[in-house]
Amino acid sequence: METLGYLMDGFAVALTPYNLMFALAGAFLGTLIGCLPGLGPANGVAILIPLAFTLGLPPETAMILLTSVYAGAMYGGRISSILLNIPGDEPAMMTCLDGYPMAQKGRAADALAISAVASFAGGLIGTIGLILLAPILARFALTFGPAEYFALFILAFATLGGITGKNPMKTVIAATIGIMISTVGIDISTGTQRYTFGVLELYEGIDFILAIVGLFAISELLFFLESRIKSGHKKVNVGKVTLTLKELVSTVPTQLRGGVLGFIAGVLPGAGASLGSFISYTLEKQVIGKKGSFGEGDIRGVVAPEAGNNGAASGALVPMLTLGVPGSGTTAVLLAMLISLNITPGPLMFTQNADIVWGVIAALLIGNVLLLLLNIPMIGVFVRLLSIPPAYLLPIVTMVAFVGIYSISHSTFDLYFMVAFGVAGYFMRKLEIPLVPIILGLLLGPEMEKNLGHALILSDGDWSTLWASPLALGLWLVAGLGLVLPVIVGPILRRRMRSAIEEGPVSD
Amino acid sequence: MSGLSDRILGLGLLVLAVAYGWVAQQWPEPFGGSEGVGPETFPTILSVVLVIGSLYLMVKPDPEAQWPWGKTTIELLVAVVVLVIYTFLMEPLGFVISTTLAVGTLSWRMGAPPRKAFITGLLSAVVVFVLFNYGLSLSLPAGLLEIN
Repeated sequence: METLGYLMDGFAVALTPYNLMFALAGAFLGTLIGCLPGLGPANGVAILIPLAFTLGLPPETAMILLTSVYAGAMYGGRISSILLNIPGDEPAMMTCLDGYPMAQKGRAADALAISAVASFAGGLIGTIGLILLAPILARFALTFGPAEYFALFILAFATLGGITGKNPMKTVIAATIGIMISTVGIDISTGTQRYTFGVLELYEGIDFILAIVGLFAISELLFFLESRIKSGHKKVNVGKVTLTLKELVSTVPTQLRGGVLGFIAGVLPGAGASLGSFISYTLEKQVIGKKGSFGEGDIRGVVAPEAGNNGAASGALVPMLTLGVPGSGTTAVLLAMLISLNITPGPLMFTQNADIVWGVIAALLIGNVLLLLLNIPMIGVFVRLLSIPPAYLLPIVTMVAFVGIYSISHSTFDLYFMVAFGVAGYFMRKLEIPLVPIILGLLLGPEMEKNLGHALILSDGDWSTLWASPLALGLWLVAGLGLVLPVIVGPILRRRMRSAIEEGPVSD
Repeated sequence: MSGLSDRILGLGLLVLAVAYGWVAQQWPEPFGGSEGVGPETFPTILSVVLVIGSLYLMVKPDPEAQWPWGKTTIELLVAVVVLVIYTFLMEPLGFVISTTLAVGTLSWRMGAPPRKAFITGLLSAVVVFVLFNYGLSLSLPAGLLEIN
């Protein structure tokens, strides 16, 4: 009941015309970001952070804008999956399997409509799950001491590579590099200058926003130059919606199953939206069995992964909001926004910044409704935008990234730094060093050091305090599993995902 | 040799890790004596972790990455140089001129016809400049186009 009261307060925040306007803008931009290949959700949200910052938006409005973008990107990913057989973002990969065959059969409009409904159902289920689970987890997290937090951060890094991750050692290296970058600047507790080499610009440390934008946006530009994909020229005819109410009703169980499974995958560390949509799709295939025509344009094959990835998107917000530990690239970028708004993420946020947390949650509910409304009648607009060739789009996106970073500090020094991060990001992506742990390291590094310090001061310098409590020990064990499991299970899961995709007769 | 890139990366990271750790040992002890944790404690741990990671990379590298040799290398270098020059010229030339040149060049190199590329550059530059300077009152450098 208490939760309901908070949620009502949240609606009061989110429903002001000003915030509603930003939620709508975010939902639109998000769908756009999601549907354009080469502009992933993490990248898109990262570019918008400096802009939200320089616009001087109040914290709740800034968060509402970015969360709507995040939710919108999950909707948008499906559009290019269905129409072009190119996933707009990674979680939308599974939607290609039945979405594209449906479009080839001339049912593109139906596929787009039903997937919008499925996205809505998934998003709604995920958000309800978030509302129920988050306060409980936040209350539990209040019992965490510094040692538990330190172990939790280790856990976050260890599971970040995900169960399908390739080389866990590269995740460790990436995380360490990120944390190392975060130690540059004046040490908070002692005032010692660390790694500043007397350069004035480095005294305050390296701004993580410019690192994030550089790593994502600039490296993306270089990757595109290399691959020279010229997609988007194809003119796709969407046609009219012929979906019957009976068909829509028949997919309701699929929507529910997909949403719930997706939410669980989203909450769990190391799973994320891609796995969420994969699990929902495979389970649906098993449940329906031979009665379905999966891979040939079965409507449930579109519904399941879409409900799954939208459920997972809301689920991934649970650890980010309650523990301050994001489990995916995009939620890490959302965390960056929170930190730069001077809000300490974690369980205390639920009491100290209740208006922001519940405003964001309410905005997620409103955002899903807006997205459903936006995605069915306005689908034509997005389809037309999809045909903008990347040769025009990416340079403009890069320019917007430059403008955003420049407008924070009005110094070109930051821009050189951003380009350097972009070039480094390109090389790291080439060598399969994941970028997300670097960003998480940048964000969590200072907190990690602070908690380590507190734990050791409380124990008088006894290092065993870090795994003394059963809870901390448990966290360390799960972290260990998170590093070892991908080596054993990863290859099997990856093979299955690949064979699932190859099985489908998607080739022209 | 297979996995040469990973080995080179490992070597580079090893040098970085040792240098990073060594610098941390040089800091003067903070005023008030050392407690459990000094400013060097955390960096020292990080340096050890990175040393282990880089050694692992050198011993067990992944298969060689695909590097774009030849024409694509030049295209990539051109793009980076354009971005650096863009940054360098933004304040002296002003936002509109420098952006037209940068966006135009990039989009031309990405395969757009040159005329269309530079028109896109000019249009986007003007739109963003007007939007930021008048709509959002955030000043971007006007440069040569400044009217006194």
